[in-house]
Amino acid sequence: MAVSKNAWLTGLRYRGGDNMLVWMLHRISGLAMVLFVGAHILSSFFTQQLGSTWGIALNTIYESPYFQIFLYFFVIFHVINGLRIILLDFFPKLLEYQRELTWLEWIIFIPIFGLSVFITVIKILNGG
Amino acid sequence: MKVTVKILRYDPEKDQRPHYQTYQVDAEPTDWVLDLLERIKGDQDGSLSFRRSCAHGICGSDAMRINGMNRLACKTLLQDLHSHTIVVEPLLGLPIIKDLVVDMEPFFDHYKSVMPYLVNDEQAPMRERLQSPAERERFDDTTKCILCAACTTSCPSFWANGDYIGPAAIVNAHRFIFDSRDRASSERLRILNGQFGVFRCHTIFNCTQACPREIQITKAIGEVKKAIATGNLD
Ligand code: FES
Repeated sequence: MAVSKNAWLTGLRYRGGDNMLVWMLHRISGLAMVLFVGAHILSSFFTQQLGSTWGIALNTIYESPYFQIFLYFFVIFHVINGLRIILLDFFPKLLEYQRELTWLEWIIFIPIFGLSVFITVIKILNGG
Repeated sequence: MKVTVKILRYDPEKDQRPHYQTYQVDAEPTDWVLDLLERIKGDQDGSLSFRRSCAHGICGSDAMRINGMNRLACKTLLQDLHSHTIVVEPLLGLPIIKDLVVDMEPFFDHYKSVMPYLVNDEQAPMRERLQSPAERERFDDTTKCILCAACTTSCPSFWANGDYIGPAAIVNAHRFIFDSRDRASSERLRILNGQFGVFRCHTIFNCTQACPREIQITKAIGEVKKAIATGNLD
């Protein structure tokens, strides 16, 4: 019997713990960014080339503060996690401390993301 | 105490697909999971298939998924699982032959592909090829591998593509690449630089976590990647 070759489905059957979670988040945030940038390009295209209201509709979604909070999460996470992996690639010795590095990653992430959310929420409260 | 053992069973002659079967077993907290499997096979259901040989964590026969994670059944104490329900499943990413027995052939093919043996055609000295303790230390960690396949079958890159050479093969290549007596490092690095070589590793760390010998696998892979990138074995 051939075992499922789909890594995503297989991943659900394995308890990889926080390491695997971070990797999955990295993948998801990568895809999410493609989606965000895609929406941005599409909305510009609709508005400027076709003069269609579709662009405005997309823009409203894209620029809404709720959407922005997701965007901040994915972009900031992807950047910091990417930097962690680059660091590990350059200095394999650090791989012994990968647990600590993952913690460090979240310690850096939380204030940056927190500040972004804080500013966005203030903006919402001030009426956008 | 009574524990519930849920085993993923599959008999290619009878079953369409794998299914779970549940057994109740009397056990002590200090029992190994392998003890439970032996008890089930001996007392309740002789048709249960699994591999084991040494029962002391050295032959690498009984790697399986225990409560979702790859471990050796003979090295996993019940009390460390903190649960009265134990789920035992075969390794992922390799075809199931029967119950907990998977086909290890693809795994060993990858292992063989990295030339896991000393290559040195130079005239051997009278007594031995000398090596300093520091030189020996350089690859000490990767000599511990018992080829149980817990690492390779925990790797999402391997699940996604069985052609990926996998952590175990890289660990065993590392063992010779960094051995001062060996002369085939560049050949091994060339193999590992291939399409299905080390760069399929995305630093996920499941392998390091799964290794029953506590080998720093991701670190070994990182060192091999760096050696390929820099052409330097330091
Ligand atoms: S039976 Fe030999 S390693 Fe478990």
